[in-house]
Amino acid sequence: MAKIVFTSGFARRYTNGVREFEVEAKNLRGVLKAMDELYPGLGEHLEEETTVAINGEYHETGYFQPVPPGAEVFFIPRIEGG
Amino acid sequence: MNDSTIVSDSVKRFKWVGTRPIRPDGVPKVTGRAMYGADLKLPGMLYGKILRSPHAHARIKSIDTSAAEALPGVKAVMTSADLPQQKFDYIGPERVAVNFWHVTRNILAREKALYEGHAIAAVAAISSSIADEAASLIKVEYEVLPHVIDVDEAMAPDAPLLFEDMITRGIEPAPTKPSNISKRLEFVIGDVEAGFKTADVVIEKEFKTAAVHQAYIEPHACVAKYEPDGQCEIWSSSQGHFQMRALTAQIIGAKLGDLRVTPAEIGGGFGGKTVTYLEPVAATLSKKAGAPVRLQMTREDVFRASGPTSGASMWVKIGVKKDGTIVAADGIFKFQAGAFPGSPVMNGCLCAYAPYEIANQRAVGYDVISNRPKAAAYRAPGSPISAFAVESVIDMCAKAIGMDPLELRHKNACHIGTPTLAGPKHAHAGYAETLEALMSHPAYKVKLGPNQGRGVASGYWFNGGGESSATLQINADGTVLVATGSPDIGGSRASMAIMAAETLGVDYNTVRAIVADTASVGYTHVTGGSRVTFATGTAVVNASKTVVKELCKRAALIWGVDEEGVIWDDGYAKPAGSNVGEFTPLSLAQIAAKAAATGGPITASNGVNAGGQAPGFASQFCDVEVDPETGKVTILRFVAAQDVGRAIHPAYVEGQIQGGVVQGIGWALNEEYIYNAKGLLDNPGFLDYRCPVASDLPMIDAIMVEVPNPTHPYGAKGVGEVGICPPMAAIANAIEMATGKRMTELPMSPPRLLAALSE
Repeated sequence: MAKIVFTSGFARRYTNGVREFEVEAKNLRGVLKAMDELYPGLGEHLEEETTVAINGEYHETGYFQPVPPGAEVFFIPRIEGG
Repeated sequence: MNDSTIVSDSVKRFKWVGTRPIRPDGVPKVTGRAMYGADLKLPGMLYGKILRSPHAHARIKSIDTSAAEALPGVKAVMTSADLPQQKFDYIGPERVAVNFWHVTRNILAREKALYEGHAIAAVAAISSSIADEAASLIKVEYEVLPHVIDVDEAMAPDAPLLFEDMITRGIEPAPTKPSNISKRLEFVIGDVEAGFKTADVVIEKEFKTAAVHQAYIEPHACVAKYEPDGQCEIWSSSQGHFQMRALTAQIIGAKLGDLRVTPAEIGGGFGGKTVTYLEPVAATLSKKAGAPVRLQMTREDVFRASGPTSGASMWVKIGVKKDGTIVAADGIFKFQAGAFPGSPVMNGCLCAYAPYEIANQRAVGYDVISNRPKAAAYRAPGSPISAFAVESVIDMCAKAIGMDPLELRHKNACHIGTPTLAGPKHAHAGYAETLEALMSHPAYKVKLGPNQGRGVASGYWFNGGGESSATLQINADGTVLVATGSPDIGGSRASMAIMAAETLGVDYNTVRAIVADTASVGYTHVTGGSRVTFATGTAVVNASKTVVKELCKRAALIWGVDEEGVIWDDGYAKPAGSNVGEFTPLSLAQIAAKAAATGGPITASNGVNAGGQAPGFASQFCDVEVDPETGKVTILRFVAAQDVGRAIHPAYVEGQIQGGVVQGIGWALNEEYIYNAKGLLDNPGFLDYRCPVASDLPMIDAIMVEVPNPTHPYGAKGVGEVGICPPMAAIANAIEMATGKRMTELPMSPPRLLAALSE
């Protein structure tokens, strides 16, 4: 199982304020699918509006990113530099 | 000459990585032959001119272009009416969240002019003088409105509103009245109030920073050529030609496949050239005129209508125990976004305390619009601003408990596993090492003279990854072409060639790296976020590895053995073992010469969405001397340590560190947007907007601390941005030591410092 965490702002907007979830998934595609089943449409919001940190490593929110067992997966607003 | 140092282990692992070969774009640049955005001239090309608002805030009642259209030599005139309507939608949060309803209004004003210099209309004519005259013939009827410039004043309940229907996002329940506050953000970990109760010393302070411009030497410029069949070519100086293509396509309503954007050489960007101002206008004028159109900004246009980064108003409170443990940190960060939402306040919040392990943290951010040009990214956008406030208060804490400021930072330094305000735990080290490099630096112990002070500060930046592409071609004579989609601002062509040479095992001088146009290489995100060496470099290395595999396959064919029987070693195909047979190793050039006979051209492309980039940490100290009679601050010494992962081309890494420091010195001491009572910019030129020049500066001592990034093939981390985060606080802290005065507002210019000294 992976622990999924949203920022409070994101949770307020899309998950009725619930910030943490436990999800069984091998990759981010699985995480997005599982979240979309809980909150229809959420997968697309996650894909388009967030960056993801898996065990502290930042990635773009792509299907292919592996999610190791017990991973902490944080979805946070995208970060852009200059 | 430079004073740089590399702090690393002494094992030599690489042939080319870590060397300092001459950059491939050096000769064209120093001989004046390099083609920048304004250098291209096409047959029949027209000259564009943009009419800009003379008012800080005004309703546009009417625009009459008839006289301009009637002027002989004028081929096209346009206003916002020539651009399609855009949906009002924040696609994601600000910074990446582009709201094209806003973007199109920034490119050409619609209902209102929202800042001095806001583009109103544009013309294209057969000469620049005719274009100037035509622009002056456009009659705009304005209703001048009250304006607001300062961020605190813009937040006031009675402030003039830029958008009468803007309701602050991020507050629940949503406010019922409109305001200039676009958004409120809050991030928190731990229990901040409880944390402060355990502190022995609590210090809080308010700070202000001025809006500063990226001050790139080359003004924005582009040429567009729209063909009757709907195909459009654009030559543009930008930090991302794929980005320019995407933004232009959306703004003018074209398909990506109909636009081809060729990158010009770029004379600096620092984040400010990741957004579009001219390309959609030039493309539309070209479409209307049926001829190519060049548009370029003047320096005054650049200051009035592009960039800058946000000015800010901040409050920071930090609690510390006598033993130096920081127990709580709190802050409110109010950032100017300019005339449209989208300041880097979220970054400012998330970077504020990121170098430290603090159990209880909170950052509240406000994105605030006012009658200024829309803020654009600038080197680690947002982070230097909050760092000025946080690193100043940390210095005050160190003084209050009598601890060395480096030691205090080292005691609280983050490490792998430290939670961050965003939520994720730090996955990479590097910060403590930068502090240790300074603590052991001989200059840190040098005794100071009268009116002199030493200041310390640190900084953090996320660094970026994301989508990049590279294509390698092996030529028949064994030379190698590396094409990427990353505009080269800081020497990336040299770095790409180094990584390709290292992976292929060939001489760097046989590799030619270029920046290809949008039709000639795969999609590549902007040169920004310190992402290119990491992400595009990964694509180059991957493509090189594919080429190596192909070279082994060709060698196997030449020798008549199985592919598995061939290995690649130091630039040669060799038999994998004695059982394969005895063959003379084949070089890349020898195999390339047989390309036709062994299957055709040897080429490989790779596209990545690179993740796992390590963040950047920087720590710096400086010595200053303050002239008590004039308030002038002289920088005597500046030592900048930065975690660089592994320096692929150390000279360009030093350049990034030194460049960041110098821009930070300008931000600290002199640079600011000065508005008059009418809301008009009084210093839109380099005479009055004072950037540091070489004679103002000592040689910046750049220390490259190498803590390799395991997620990059050669350990690289982004290095372009974090160096600008610490200087403002480091200098403020040094001034405090020299004078006893705590400066809380930037710039710490002679008049402001003199006034403080007179108090």
